[in-house]
Amino acid sequence: MKTLVLGIGNSILGDDGIGVRVAQELARKIKNDNIDVRDVGIDGLNLLDLILGYDKLIVIDAVLTEREKVGEVYRFKPEKVYEPSRSAISPHHFNLSTTIEIGKKLFPGRMPEEVIAFAVGTEEATMVTEEMTGRVKDAMPIVVNLVLKELNLN
Amino acid sequence: MTRKIVIEPVTRIEGHGKVTIHLNEQGNVDKTYLHVTQVRGFEKFCEGRLFWEMPVITPRICGICPVSHHLAAAKAGDAILGVKLTPTADKLRRLLHMAQMVQSHALHFFHLASPDLIFGMEADPAKRNVIGVIAAMPDAAVKGVKLRAFGQKIIEGMGDKRVHPNAAVPGGMNRALHSDKRDEILSQIGDIIADCQFAIDLFKDYCNKNSEVAETFADFKSGYLGLVDANGNAEYYDGKLRLKDQDGMTLEDDVAPEDYLSIIEEKVEDWSYLKFPYYKKMGYPAGMYRVGPLGRLNVADGCTTPLADKEFKQFKEMGKNGILQGSLYYHYARLIEMLNCAEEIKALTGDKDICSTDIWVNSDCLNEEGVGVIEAPRGTLFHHYWVDKTGKMIKANLIVATGHNNLAMNRAVNEVAHAFIKDGKVTEGILNRVEVAIRCYDPCLSCSSHALGHMPLELTVHEADGSIRQVLRS
Repeated sequence: MKTLVLGIGNSILGDDGIGVRVAQELARKIKNDNIDVRDVGIDGLNLLDLILGYDKLIVIDAVLTEREKVGEVYRFKPEKVYEPSRSAISPHHFNLSTTIEIGKKLFPGRMPEEVIAFAVGTEEATMVTEEMTGRVKDAMPIVVNLVLKELNLN
Repeated sequence: MTRKIVIEPVTRIEGHGKVTIHLNEQGNVDKTYLHVTQVRGFEKFCEGRLFWEMPVITPRICGICPVSHHLAAAKAGDAILGVKLTPTADKLRRLLHMAQMVQSHALHFFHLASPDLIFGMEADPAKRNVIGVIAAMPDAAVKGVKLRAFGQKIIEGMGDKRVHPNAAVPGGMNRALHSDKRDEILSQIGDIIADCQFAIDLFKDYCNKNSEVAETFADFKSGYLGLVDANGNAEYYDGKLRLKDQDGMTLEDDVAPEDYLSIIEEKVEDWSYLKFPYYKKMGYPAGMYRVGPLGRLNVADGCTTPLADKEFKQFKEMGKNGILQGSLYYHYARLIEMLNCAEEIKALTGDKDICSTDIWVNSDCLNEEGVGVIEAPRGTLFHHYWVDKTGKMIKANLIVATGHNNLAMNRAVNEVAHAFIKDGKVTEGILNRVEVAIRCYDPCLSCSSHALGHMPLELTVHEADGSIRQVLRS
């Protein structure tokens, strides 16, 4: 079974980079021919090429929450929580549920059977910086361990 | 392990697209605003870094147009070094850029814009979307995916990271094109060009059936800005700036990119993070101009390749003095450009020197500043850097395409709001129409990269006393 671990975010936009940082840490820890770990600064339909051909997809991403929930870690199946974005005014606006739905229609049999998301609550990032804020930074080892557990690696 | 399915994050809407409409006492439109999120602090972030690093730092600004920032940064670096690229390096940069144009324009047309055209703006949003296109026209959906993947694969093949390109460096390129990759591109390009023509036919079919809508939807007068080559053809990678007015009169021509500040000024408004560039000599906001596909083709005299040029001539004939004003014509211009860029890819990969390894030049020169300009898929992109004697960045100024179009997009929203809100009656189709209007410009409304979450367009209508009358979400 081939698994892709995908960290998504903008690594120079503070807390938005949490997915990227977690994936970079996981890449250092995971040495397994059946598991690929990638960090990307892209979203929407551009993810489609990356996820084709895998049996399982684990996505690590930031998700906007209320202030008191910043740093909380969530595990869920994205298509169960987020409706596909039906319309979009910018390519950024297609969420993963949309990409999965399109992929299943256009490339049946080549999309991951199982998709698990690990999300960290953040506030909207508007300042260019490589630094994450305290509570999001603190969530990093938690997410790393949760993903390793998901992969039966710890 | 605890399986935690939570609903909380869903309630928070991403701040990607927000429109507010303020009504007057009579319930008619007073003011409208399109709010765009713009990140701050990039200039500070760059300070003290070597200008050499900028082509790998700036693509991280945005996951949608990393190649544009990559190339503009490399070009600013060329200017600091005072170098002229080798012919092959110039061609490889162009190849990278043309690949990006094809992938970006294909993504926009087939996945974002085509549902409006295939189903009509009034169609039920449940059907009027990309999934609906896959169901109704699977062939078109597959072509869209194929075109985007073709461009993306070239970008990937020219660097070692697919989304954050690193092939261009100040002074040239850091890797040559392998003949296997060239041959692979050449083997596909015939089909790709045919698919571009298919997309054009799709749009023209829409225009034939909906000519009045195409001409009048979000139609307004403005200036137009774009790069042109020495023959006046639409140019995407290099060239000089040309600015025309609403009647096709040339206001500025042959302006060297480094002199952009002689024609453009930026205004700050307290309700938007994104600045508002305008044509200096006409003042604000009269100096509104549009960039991107419509801006480029409105200022150009032709296209560099035969099939695109033939289409371009038809495009010009549709306008008055060669100027098309309707926002929906952005789609037509975008598709002609996609064809132009596909034909350019064919010419570049067929060039005998494209696989040469003579791709970089050194320099002893270190100028204090450098400007890099390219026509990104969404419009003119400026990177302006100032460096100290050691090549460390002192200051950076970036003007991005969505910024140039900020005034125009606000105007487009305003036009639609006036047309669809009358005497206190907000019609149901308004959200659709506002969305369609903004979408024409293919704006990049966010610098964050998210795959999870909800990212609808949010439209808020305020009463004259400031209270919220209703909130609509796509």
